[in-house]
Amino acid sequence: MTGDVWMVLPLACLAGGAFAVYLVARLLTSRNDLLALLTALVFAAALVALVPLFALTGKETGFLGETRFLLPAWGHFGEGGAFLRADPGGLVVAGVALGLGLLVTLYSGRYLALDRRYETYYPLLLLLVTGLVGMVLAADLFNLYMFCELMSVAAYVLVAFRRRLDTAIEAGFKYLVMGSVGTVIILLGISFVYRETGTLALPPLSSPPTLGGKEGGMGAPGPWTRAGVACFLVGLGIKSAIVPLHTWLPDAHGRAPSSISAMLSGIIVQSAFYALLKVSLGLGLPAHDLGTLLIVLSLFNMTLGNGLALVQTHTKRLLAYSTIAQMGYIMLSIGVGLRYAIPAAIQAGFFLLLAHAAMKGLAFLCKGVCHFYCDATLIADLRGTAMRMPLVAVAFSVALAGLAGVPPLAGFTAKWFILMGALRSSDALGYVGLAVFLLNSLLALGYYLPLIGTLFTPPSPPELGGTEGGRIRVSPWMAVPVVVLGALVLAIGLYPGPWLNWTADAGGYLLALGR
Amino acid sequence: MNVETMWLVTILGAPLAAALLLPLLRGRGARMAGWIAGLAAALSLIATFALLPALRRGDVPALGFEWIPAAHIRLALHLDWLTFPFLVTEAAVTLVAVVYTWGYHRPDERTPVFYALLMLFAVGMSGTTLADDMFLFYIFWELMLVASCALIAVWGDGERRGAVALKYFIFTHLGSLMVLMGLLMLYDATGSDSFSALRAGITLAPGLVTTVTTLFIAGFCVKMAIFPLHLWLPDAHAVAPMPVTIMLAAAMLSMGTYGILRFPLSIFSPAQMAPFVVPMMVAGIVSELYGALMALAEQDVKRIIAYSSVSQMGYILFGLGTLTYDGVAGATLHVIYHAIVKALLFMCVGLVMRATGRRRIAELGGLGGAMPLVALCTGAGALAIAGTPPFCIFTSEWMIFSGGFHTAHIGLSVLTLFGSLLTVAYALWFVGRIFFGARPEGLTVDRLPWAMVAPTVLLAALALIGGLFPAPVCDWVAHALPLILGGAW
Repeated sequence: MTGDVWMVLPLACLAGGAFAVYLVARLLTSRNDLLALLTALVFAAALVALVPLFALTGKETGFLGETRFLLPAWGHFGEGGAFLRADPGGLVVAGVALGLGLLVTLYSGRYLALDRRYETYYPLLLLLVTGLVGMVLAADLFNLYMFCELMSVAAYVLVAFRRRLDTAIEAGFKYLVMGSVGTVIILLGISFVYRETGTLALPPLSSPPTLGGKEGGMGAPGPWTRAGVACFLVGLGIKSAIVPLHTWLPDAHGRAPSSISAMLSGIIVQSAFYALLKVSLGLGLPAHDLGTLLIVLSLFNMTLGNGLALVQTHTKRLLAYSTIAQMGYIMLSIGVGLRYAIPAAIQAGFFLLLAHAAMKGLAFLCKGVCHFYCDATLIADLRGTAMRMPLVAVAFSVALAGLAGVPPLAGFTAKWFILMGALRSSDALGYVGLAVFLLNSLLALGYYLPLIGTLFTPPSPPELGGTEGGRIRVSPWMAVPVVVLGALVLAIGLYPGPWLNWTADAGGYLLALGR
Repeated sequence: MNVETMWLVTILGAPLAAALLLPLLRGRGARMAGWIAGLAAALSLIATFALLPALRRGDVPALGFEWIPAAHIRLALHLDWLTFPFLVTEAAVTLVAVVYTWGYHRPDERTPVFYALLMLFAVGMSGTTLADDMFLFYIFWELMLVASCALIAVWGDGERRGAVALKYFIFTHLGSLMVLMGLLMLYDATGSDSFSALRAGITLAPGLVTTVTTLFIAGFCVKMAIFPLHLWLPDAHAVAPMPVTIMLAAAMLSMGTYGILRFPLSIFSPAQMAPFVVPMMVAGIVSELYGALMALAEQDVKRIIAYSSVSQMGYILFGLGTLTYDGVAGATLHVIYHAIVKALLFMCVGLVMRATGRRRIAELGGLGGAMPLVALCTGAGALAIAGTPPFCIFTSEWMIFSGGFHTAHIGLSVLTLFGSLLTVAYALWFVGRIFFGARPEGLTVDRLPWAMVAPTVLLAALALIGGLFPAPVCDWVAHALPLILGGAW
């Protein structure tokens, strides 16, 4: 089957690329720009390799959730059959991760001059994305677990990449400890599931109905499987920063190099969330129940994320808390979609995921530029950015305004569709979510707008501890990704059609999975 | 693309193109930036009037194409008689404000960006009135907020400008969110975001009608600064640079009026709107009285005129609330006349502030001899805002009151009528304190640039001419309203 080869190609590209880049760095050259270019090529190749999968999953029309998702399956593990399986939601996440990875790599081509150690950085970045892509495409729990670990371990190391800073080590260690607890809980969950069902495969959608009329190979979930699902909810909940399991995130995202923060906040957290959705629905948790849980949890994510972002003094911690809040928006939208069976709401959630990756990625990259040239870490250090680096200030403002949901940027368009979805909910819980969402979008203005204001405030004079305000030329390695992402934020907002089409099938797929 | 479409695109396109091109000038062309902005604003105004014959012929200049097919969202512009008075007001106010800026703004390297933001602000306002679908409407609606907020945050007076801009943004955004929810509920009910679906008539559950109407009226009242939703206005008006204040007060406030006319009043029948008559009239009266009293109590000359806006918007809401032809037509006329008079008064305040460098009314006085022309213009503005014949606001207030007396709520109408006495009080007191009496120690008067004086005189003349010959403007208003009040679009 042709689908088989396509399926494994992106992963092979990324994993092989990681080794190749390491070897090149060790043996041939240690020039940052060459290594960045090479890594970018690997990402581009993986992205190209992913494209046929879209064609495969999109080829057959008709009832959603039939064989079209099973087509590209490869390898045999245990009794499940498939080892990787492309589904519409996973492809969105994987595609976003590869695109963002490509831009972050180019950006690192200059930014990494701060940290050096290129031979560790680029392979780890590739492994991070390998883990991510493998995790969202995995068709059984074993592979999901392995890839999830690959992603997590790479992320721990990258968070602590600035090993001379005690804060970075501390953040990495905290992330490691909490992440490992999550991992162990996931492993426990896997053993529970295996104990009862004797298989690790996630049931494909097209399996014939078996016990209890439930489609999929496993029948109605028994008590051990239920316990296993609970373990997955907690374990993957830690990795996707669901309040109250979020405490590692502000440290990790606040202390990692900005390029890594962009990846972590932009897509890593969301990919773990997607794995959570896929596993818990696949193991038989009814969509309605998962939706209810997500709506309730999202209230805390939104409110706590925005509330704590208001009091931050470090730019990156502020952005990290904003990620928790934005995860809340995604959870709300997908939760509403699952609870009330509204595919459009789930689609809106994926649309925000995509938009958020661009906006948050852009915000962290802009922050990184300020850090690189002006050594800015505190919010107050950003004063005068508009005079020194007008381009970066404008791009940063676009990112922040987008996150705040100002039209016509990506965040607003996502907000529009999320509100549309939430309006269709048929009982009070959905409306409570809607009201909290609206209040939060007002609350969030309280930190996004002053941050934008700070960028355009003249710097304090040198005698008061400010720096000289000369114009700075930003290296094209950093300027190009910033401009591309800025244009994307505008494009996703103003012309959301293609992006909506891209996320269109995810809603139907998840609902079919959770029947 | 026919000629009408071309003019329609020019209304938005000229300022938009200017806004995009101006920042490219960087610091070099500070003076040229003013001319470019003026040209764009003038083109926009000319294009608006160029479409008047088409409207008279019964044509509806419109433009539309698919935008986001997946969500049934179209990009559509549409000019009808309801839009026209508002569009003229915005375009004219923008032009006057730009000319005033030539004199007001001291050129520096950021000047092109200032003009660019003024142009974006203008695009936001014209776009809001021209938009024929909800998505676009909301984008333009927020664009005016973003542009004006940026202008206040960067070019505002005083150290508090950042805080004031934040307050302005958050407070007004609260109203925007209500409007957004109202729009989305309509979208959900019709399945399309185009206004043409609304024009075709929709039926909503009665409970939904109440919710949607409440959301719209409350949301638009934030923009109109109706008490108690006015809290953003005095600060924003007082801190904003004068051209921005003029555009805020004279044009942007009326966007709320447009919204109420366009959505609840046009979509729902008078019978469905009936429960909102008394609340709207009462809110109007309260706002009228509160604004006037606060204007009497204020010390800062700019805040006095700012509170006068709260009061005047009260008249407009009262007029809309009557749901009678006279009341609604009067309210729409009041939008135009108030724009003239409020722009005039703010310009006079700006001239006084520029000439003396002071803004507390207690430190001013006896300026009549030193600046007679400004005194004359301010006097005309004050008489006009007090509703004295033959100035223009007399006509619109007359119609609003007449509308009030056509309703069953005579008591409320009498109250409004007597409430207008307070307007007379603060207007005359304002002129008296600044231009008459003894001149305080050390009050010097600087020369004023012609670019600030000329538009002021022009507006003073317009205030008089508008009052003497109200017929053409009344004619603009008269076309759309019978349809609205008949319950159809």
